Amino acid sequence: MLLVPVLLPIIGGIFVFRQKTEKTRNRMVLWLSGVTAVCAVILCVLPEQSMDLLTIEGSLRLGLRSDALSKFFMALISLIWVPVSVFSFPYIRHAEHEQQFEGFYTMTLGILMGLALAKNFVTMYMFFEMMSLITMPLVLHNATPTARRAGFKYLGYSVFGAGMALAGFFFVWPHLAVSNFLAGGALLSSAAEHRDELLFVWLVMIVGFGAKAGMMPMQSWLPSAHPVAPAPASAVLSGVITKGGVLAIIRVTYYMFGPAFLADSWAQETLVILALGTVFIGSMLALREQQFKKRLAYSTVSQISYALFGLLLLTPEGFEGAMLQIVFHALAKDTLFLAAGAVILSTNCTRVDQLRGIGRRMPVTMGCFTVAALSLIGIPPMSGFFSKWVLATGALATGNPLFGWGGVAVLILSALLTAGYLLPIVSAGFFPGSDNIPDQREVGPQMTVPMMIFAGLALVLGVFPQWVMHAAQALAKLVF
Amino acid sequence: MTKALMLLAVFLPIAAAWFIYPLRRRDREYRNLYIRIIPGIELAIALLLALLPRGTASLPEVCGLGLHFATGSFQSMLAVIAAFLWMMTALPCREYFEAYTNSNRFYFYWLLTLGALMGVFLAADLFTLFVFFEMMSFTSWVWVAWPETPKALDAAKTYLAVAVFGGMVLLVGLFVLQHLLGTLRFTEMAALAKILPEEKRDQLLIGGICCLVGFGAKAGMFPLHIWLPKAHPVAPAPASALLSGILTKSGVFGILVVARYLLWNDVRWNETVLLLGTITMVLGAVLALFSIDLKRTLACSSMSQIGFILLGVAMQGYLGEENALAAWGTVLHMLNHSLIKLVLFVAAGVIYLGNHHQLDLNVIRGYGRNKPFLKTVFFIGAASIAGIPGFSGYVSKTLLHESIVEYIHELLQSGENALPFEVVEWLFLISGGLTLAYMTKLFICIFVEQRPAGASAGVQEYLSPATRVALTLGATAMGVLGLTPGLTMEPIARWAGIFLWAGEGHAVHYFALVNLKGALVSIAIGIGIYAMVVCTALRRRKGSEVVYPDLWPEKLDLETLLYRPVLRALSFLGALCARIVASVGDFIVFLGEKLLFLRAPGIFVPKRTENFGAYEKKPRRLLITEAFSFDLLLAGGGLLFLLVYILFA
Repeated sequence: MLLVPVLLPIIGGIFVFRQKTEKTRNRMVLWLSGVTAVCAVILCVLPEQSMDLLTIEGSLRLGLRSDALSKFFMALISLIWVPVSVFSFPYIRHAEHEQQFEGFYTMTLGILMGLALAKNFVTMYMFFEMMSLITMPLVLHNATPTARRAGFKYLGYSVFGAGMALAGFFFVWPHLAVSNFLAGGALLSSAAEHRDELLFVWLVMIVGFGAKAGMMPMQSWLPSAHPVAPAPASAVLSGVITKGGVLAIIRVTYYMFGPAFLADSWAQETLVILALGTVFIGSMLALREQQFKKRLAYSTVSQISYALFGLLLLTPEGFEGAMLQIVFHALAKDTLFLAAGAVILSTNCTRVDQLRGIGRRMPVTMGCFTVAALSLIGIPPMSGFFSKWVLATGALATGNPLFGWGGVAVLILSALLTAGYLLPIVSAGFFPGSDNIPDQREVGPQMTVPMMIFAGLALVLGVFPQWVMHAAQALAKLVF
Repeated sequence: MTKALMLLAVFLPIAAAWFIYPLRRRDREYRNLYIRIIPGIELAIALLLALLPRGTASLPEVCGLGLHFATGSFQSMLAVIAAFLWMMTALPCREYFEAYTNSNRFYFYWLLTLGALMGVFLAADLFTLFVFFEMMSFTSWVWVAWPETPKALDAAKTYLAVAVFGGMVLLVGLFVLQHLLGTLRFTEMAALAKILPEEKRDQLLIGGICCLVGFGAKAGMFPLHIWLPKAHPVAPAPASALLSGILTKSGVFGILVVARYLLWNDVRWNETVLLLGTITMVLGAVLALFSIDLKRTLACSSMSQIGFILLGVAMQGYLGEENALAAWGTVLHMLNHSLIKLVLFVAAGVIYLGNHHQLDLNVIRGYGRNKPFLKTVFFIGAASIAGIPGFSGYVSKTLLHESIVEYIHELLQSGENALPFEVVEWLFLISGGLTLAYMTKLFICIFVEQRPAGASAGVQEYLSPATRVALTLGATAMGVLGLTPGLTMEPIARWAGIFLWAGEGHAVHYFALVNLKGALVSIAIGIGIYAMVVCTALRRRKGSEVVYPDLWPEKLDLETLLYRPVLRALSFLGALCARIVASVGDFIVFLGEKLLFLRAPGIFVPKRTENFGAYEKKPRRLLITEAFSFDLLLAGGGLLFLLVYILFA
């Protein structure tokens, strides 16, 4: 059962490559993603399952297990994947080489499921590297020189980061009580003697996995890779795949080291400063960026570090806030990227200053864009507001002035900058001036409906955040 | 019953807004009727809520912390005013928007804002207040941007920037308060703030000041008033009436909550509010005197009146237990100002339509000469805001003035230095005088002067019956309140004062000589200013024509002089630092490339990597191709094969 959501899309994806006719191929992709999503949801409902695949050596095994965190991420991935694949059908028709894109796209789903289900570090690492490799063709789909360059950069940063994490694992391995992930930490009690050394190892591992999550100092692949990738690819890259880095960080921090071991250390402070710095830098660069998708990519850099900031607080409130931020950011940012894709497809405008009057042209698309933008800024009653609320109050509750006051200051500053780089698009889009009378050129329902689903969820989950909040609280109870 | 009504008051307009578009598609008249009916229902609900005993309602867990509502006293009063203003401004809408297309968009946000504003006024905790406050900021932004003229778009930009900034600072205040007190319910906050240890007072003050900035931005308080003189003139007249009449009051309401429930005895807080309030009051009045645009004058006047109200807020804090006069003055001036601005802005809308969409005093000069009805209602509004005895504004201004005088007495009796408050008192009287001067300027210009050469006198049928009804009702309400202060205004003030924890107070003889004195001094100053400043400098005779020159230097504007350059510099600096820090990673990679790739070409990677990613260019020979991406695919396949093997082995 555990293998189905992993293997089905990977094997099915190979067959997608062979489908020449668009209709069967689309139907196949949809069925594969759909069935995988249903399997994932069934796994979420079932009690925890576990299986071993093979023993490499001693207690070093490959294995899968559906624990609470896996379920959370599987649900998120399924939720995002199916609508985006519907969106990709008409979009990719204009980008050529549909087979390649759809094939790799489908296979990525399986690997992400594997990443979520990984039982221990070795399995997770394997899927993590596979994820970097398999998503690279999505990035360099256009095969232009810039795209190739961006693809290389993406691969380089990801593999280097994962390598750092692996190196760290070698050091922490002797100190682990059990080889599998254990909620709340799996360190031996003797590890306290080597605290400083282990803290450094943790720092290295987080920075390494942080490359995928777009954390400083290895964030710069994100703004290169997103603009060149096709819109559906950017959407899942930003919404889900960067979250793979976050997932790895959660696994390392909360399932290997344990928050109790790490709290109140110099390493924690360093990482929090890095995360806050990333929040600010991402927003600041987004504000000055004129290219539409690149602006959104910088915004991703900043927004994911909100979640990392919450995780690195090492308190239950921070953890809950981070989990909420992961979900709400995925919804909002996917809407934004899909809207950007729809705009680019329909008008060929890639720069922000060309978007005057776009709201009149594509009212549905830009309506969704507005909802998502408000959510990303954190305006109630959109969902992004509540995750930021939990993060900020959690930061203040730590009692540490750097985390509390520094965190709140950076969060608010970044929210202001977010408003500064998103709202002008909205206002110029809907209020271009009375001299501007564009024609309506809305995209088809295959593209608008996924956006409407995400934007609708961003609003509904903002009004009723307790649906996600309960899951986050249950998780927090497990790891603390 | 109360519960259901409360929720209905908030969510009915929000739900109703969605029917605007389908109704318009059926028939324009349906929609026009609809937007009059909904505020009517809303007014009925608000009145019922005011008459019913106090009640609370909650929606647990909605928006995270749950929304909590309460009615009673001040909150009900504001809700009634809001619904009344919406109903009155709905009446002239049809006439006003006849010449425009795309008014659906306006009406949609018009109803959404009504719901949001009800949420603000009926909120029982700061969280609920904040949620609806933000909604209101964004929905009312559309009103300003709606005309889509370059001026309107510029004003909308400023409005949005101030609204977002204010909202975020307010949010920081909420974080701090939530952290300090653990709750944001008004009643619980007050109890907890009382027992807060001394060393945490500073943090409480920081939280309070953040809230002051946030709410003050909406109220038009100095130094965040910049949006107000820009936004009000460009918005459609019914919207300006609401923006000025009631939306600014939502900010005042928030400040009052913080002042009365958190920081009622904090000297530093009172000083801050007093200082900012006084500056707002004087600056608004001076700006209004110099303005030569009808609606801009009214907007600056709104700013000045908000300053009067803020002064009342500060005096409530200073006076401690004896604050009845200040509290009543604050409440009543809010009520009066809403009614006054309703009448004046709707009248301005009529003048705007009659003058080919112009508001310049030199163009609209003499428009009202042959229009006795318009002249009368405008006079009632102008006299009321200027504080002429016998009109409603006189009562509230007298109360505010008395509260300052009372505090000066208190200080003198205890032998303390009362000089700052004597200065404030004089500034109060001077601002009152300025109010009279700029309203006289407007009145004489529009209703007494000759029409400019070549301009028509305007048609007889210059306003529709519906507009006439709105103006009549507004003016009548003002007149009744002004003539019977003891019968109508005082009970209202007592009732609303409960929310503000006003003291018992005593009946005031409004027309006694002692109380008339302040008003008379103010009026004398006003006449003096009109005679000496307006008639000499601001109103010139050019041949046979009278000209109103614009003497305010265009450069002298806080926004262009300070805010924009500072923001630009900050964003440049921030981006510079960010760019440098962000390129550290890339720089290392760049160095590595230079060292490894260029020094030793061909060793680590081939110099030309044209095969990379070019999978489509090569013919595919079964499984062997030269494309890199296909290699990746094969690697994935290999892994898979391994997995399958493991499974079945």
